[in-house]
Amino acid sequence: MRFAIALLVFVPVGGVFGLWPLPRSLQTGTTALKLAPDFDIHMNVLHAPSDLSDAVARTKSHLKNDKLGRVVVGRGSSDSSVIQHAKSLASLHVSLTKGATVRSITEEARLAIETRSEGYSLTIPSDGSAATLTANSTLGLYRGLTTFEQLWYQWSGNLYTIEAPVTITDAPAYPWRGFMLDTSRNFFSVSDIKRTLDAMTMVKMSQFHWHVSDSQSFPLEVPGYTELASKGAYDPSMIYSPSDVKDIVDYAGARGIDVVVEIDTPGHTSIISAAHPEHIACPIASPWSDFAAEPPSGQLRLASASTTNFTAGLLSAVAKMFPSTIMSTGGDEVNANCYEQDAETQADLKATGRTLEQALDVFTQHTHGAIIAEGKTPAVWEEMVLDHNITLSNETIVLVWISSANAAAVAEKNFRLVHGPSDYFYLDCGAGEWIGKDVGNSWCDPFKTWQKAYTFDPQANISESQAHLVLGGEQLLWAEQSGPENLDPIVWPRAATSAEVFWSGPGGDSNEALPRLHDIAFRMRQRGIQAIQLQPMWCALRPGLCNIDS
Amino acid sequence: MKFLALASLIAVACQPAYGLWPQPKSAETGTTTLKLSPVFTITVSGPGVPNDVWDAVFRTEAALNKDKLGRLVVGRGSSDTASFAKAKTLSKLTLSLEKGAKWTSITSEAQKAPEDRDEAYQLTIPSDGSAATLTANSTLGLYRGLTTFGQLWYEHSGTTYTVDAPVKIADAPAYPYRGFMLDTARNYFPVADIKRTLNAMSMVKLNQFHWHVVDSQSFPLEIPGFTDLAAKGAYEPSKIYTPDDVKDIVDYAGARGIDVMVEIDTPGHTAIIAEAHPEYIACPGATPWATYANEPPAGQLRFADAHVTKYIGDLFSSATKMFPSTMFSTGGDELNTNCYGIDEPTQANLNSTGRTLEQALDDFTQSTHKVLEDSGKTPVVWEEMVLAHNVTLSVDTKVLVWISSANVKAVAESGHKLIHAASDYFYLDCGHGAWVGDFPTGNSWCDPFKSWQLSYSFDPVANLTADEAKLVLGGQHLLWTEQSSSENLDDTVWPRAASSAELFWTGPGGNVSTALPRLHDVAYRMRQRGIKAIALQPEWCALRPGVCDLTA
Repeated sequence: MRFAIALLVFVPVGGVFGLWPLPRSLQTGTTALKLAPDFDIHMNVLHAPSDLSDAVARTKSHLKNDKLGRVVVGRGSSDSSVIQHAKSLASLHVSLTKGATVRSITEEARLAIETRSEGYSLTIPSDGSAATLTANSTLGLYRGLTTFEQLWYQWSGNLYTIEAPVTITDAPAYPWRGFMLDTSRNFFSVSDIKRTLDAMTMVKMSQFHWHVSDSQSFPLEVPGYTELASKGAYDPSMIYSPSDVKDIVDYAGARGIDVVVEIDTPGHTSIISAAHPEHIACPIASPWSDFAAEPPSGQLRLASASTTNFTAGLLSAVAKMFPSTIMSTGGDEVNANCYEQDAETQADLKATGRTLEQALDVFTQHTHGAIIAEGKTPAVWEEMVLDHNITLSNETIVLVWISSANAAAVAEKNFRLVHGPSDYFYLDCGAGEWIGKDVGNSWCDPFKTWQKAYTFDPQANISESQAHLVLGGEQLLWAEQSGPENLDPIVWPRAATSAEVFWSGPGGDSNEALPRLHDIAFRMRQRGIQAIQLQPMWCALRPGLCNIDS
Repeated sequence: MKFLALASLIAVACQPAYGLWPQPKSAETGTTTLKLSPVFTITVSGPGVPNDVWDAVFRTEAALNKDKLGRLVVGRGSSDTASFAKAKTLSKLTLSLEKGAKWTSITSEAQKAPEDRDEAYQLTIPSDGSAATLTANSTLGLYRGLTTFGQLWYEHSGTTYTVDAPVKIADAPAYPYRGFMLDTARNYFPVADIKRTLNAMSMVKLNQFHWHVVDSQSFPLEIPGFTDLAAKGAYEPSKIYTPDDVKDIVDYAGARGIDVMVEIDTPGHTAIIAEAHPEYIACPGATPWATYANEPPAGQLRFADAHVTKYIGDLFSSATKMFPSTMFSTGGDELNTNCYGIDEPTQANLNSTGRTLEQALDDFTQSTHKVLEDSGKTPVVWEEMVLAHNVTLSVDTKVLVWISSANVKAVAESGHKLIHAASDYFYLDCGHGAWVGDFPTGNSWCDPFKSWQLSYSFDPVANLTADEAKLVLGGQHLLWTEQSSSENLDDTVWPRAASSAELFWTGPGGNVSTALPRLHDVAYRMRQRGIKAIALQPEWCALRPGVCDLTA
């Protein structure tokens, strides 16, 4: 029976299928090792912060509840005899390196992005003697626990690995490994966001970029500005209260994730007119395509001193809700025609003798000044440096979205940058046109496959002297055609690809990666994340047999 | 404030009957608010009302209580409350059959041959609070009418109401076959997923569940007398449809006006049979797979072998007993000749009987189809059986056109009845990249994604003569599941598959711009009923029909 070739193919490459992202340095063996029934994790950390204790408790719970069968034919039945004779691992010893400062995972995750320490070392002997996990920070320990969890499979009541001994020394290639969610085009509940954070932390992502508001709805309740949400949310039940935000930010922090909020300005703000018509130029002007990239049109009257003060006050209030050192003020797709047709803006420009660009500069300096005063580093979309002639602080972080071809131009301006290019990382592309009365394709067709995202080169066309400016990157979900119904299937496991590109570094081979991506997707499903199947299960269980040339 | 004023103007202008999907053939609606009484009941008059009719009535009453769908306008109905005080209250809907019609079960009506189904109904809802009436020639027609009735009602602050009274609908489908196909072999779907899919199907009056139950990757169907196929060919023991599961699904479908047509794809797409019967399969797992099959793994039935022919006939015979439908699909797509070229037993067989491969295929097909016909089934095949092979098929054989809508004409010219399932309009899996490994630059073979707008623009009789047009039974969306499973079933299918449901019920020529608000509405109602239909637009647009149109 020729089916037998399946066995021949997968055994030799059977190691490390569980690890995603792939550690920077990894040695594994081929010995089976069981977890002892009384396996425990011992923390040798004086004054261990409570979020570290919680993380250890969660790891133990995952070990118990994942119940993931190995992703091979028989799901591990062929391992039963080696399991029987395997040594048992009784403990994992967790400790910080000597002299390390003890801070909570949350504090470490929120440090300025270039100062975070996520490295760790993990050793699991094959003889049953204690495994050890060490790091310079609790955040590093947390990443190591995440790795440890990915090594174990379940068969008939036993938890085991077949790749002992394991020696890992790991640290990320880039500090910004993110995912962006738009909660304005359609609303996502707090539990949807928490489940997304659960998936993100499984693949060691560090940044949740929360595009919380846009022209369509304003679901964020901001103290002092509550009318924006009460009049601009889709529904009273579709508002993130300050306690929801704290809940999300704390949940993320405990999982090694920093939450970067974005209040997109001065464009993408039409909905503010529901509460403050006086601050918005061209609200719902028609035809919308003359006034905005998508309906409804409407932008902040950036030339108005009153609107500028309002925006600065709003941004400052939002800054107080989010402990991250980074806050995004957006800045994409500003439509000049909207302001040309707006009598108030024209009058303001005339009165101050400014051009629109000069007014944008004043607006940006003022609003950025407000968040800098709150201790934040501003982040902006690429147009703010490539299309407009405005003064930005040198610290400003720039998100490249229009095209990967624009990253080099941003680097040449000497700004730190985050990769979020639509041609690699937009998760919404390829599902057809959402604009009505049109039988077309999405503007960023085609669909961005995981394979495409995986081939991204963060340093392409960037000179060596500017290489340090690349902070990392993120996959993004714009939610015109997404809601809670398809959040998980659209995002997972696809978004795991950039998590590996920016942790392990570029140059990975999608053929080598596929079995590991299957593995993490199977594990996500065990944890209630609706990660999709990338192939028929027949293929998932037989690595390599469904390749184009096999 | 420009914002609200503009939105409400537009909402009022094109407001009527947003809830109806598919659009009835004839519908007159008013602009009067009518409330549903807290003691509203549906009464059925007649002797011997079948159980599944009562069940449908109870489900309709339950949905009226539980849907709690706010109207898709800014404020979700808050602006309607002013009209509640003066509104009359409807307390009764009366169901009755036309004179002379018999009270047979919905199930038995739904399981008739497509050409014999009667799904027409008349629904009248006066605006003065007097009883609404629903009449039809069959219980299946009554069931379709109940489905329509259930789409008219919204909820705000505890009041269930319509703003479209009076309502007068006379309705009947344009085509008798309105289907959805699910592949449960590439990846497995639990019974609960299938039932939820049937719920969604019945909401949009689909009447045919085409169950592509097995394929080369797995054999999840337990067939009495052939249990080794699932025991050795299912992905896991927990991923098998037992005869009880099948009965459960078939009964559940029947009670919802849906016939279940099973497909046992032969002689290709059968590699997994080698797990239990290696002697029946040519080229199992042959490499490179691309030479021997359209996708991995390779492996096809040795149809030149008389034992195999008898085995498949017996297997069909047993499977027909599990499915009461008049139709049974034997597949017949993507037959690979290289596979037989390297298969010594097949070559030996052809040599000894002096037949060509095509002749042997003809014998196999005639023999296995005869078993179906003897069991009272009409065979259904994929288009290649008519267009690519020279095999003898009964004139009754129905043909599924899948490769391209351009092939419809040729199938019609063959004189066979046909079902539209063209990949260029109705394949739900397209556009998500290549699933075969080590192919980083690959797109799906049927790129791009088939949007609902594209499906909606399909013309079922394009290029057909008037006589050929009579051969069109209807059509269906299809989900091949190389990249789908429980996790993305609903969101890949709904509400997209509703677009063909309307196309084949209401007839072609619909306008995507006026359809969109109604498609939003049925998608929102699906969500209220636990189906994960996706958002087609930002909610801002869904609440403001037309404002997000290209030219708005």
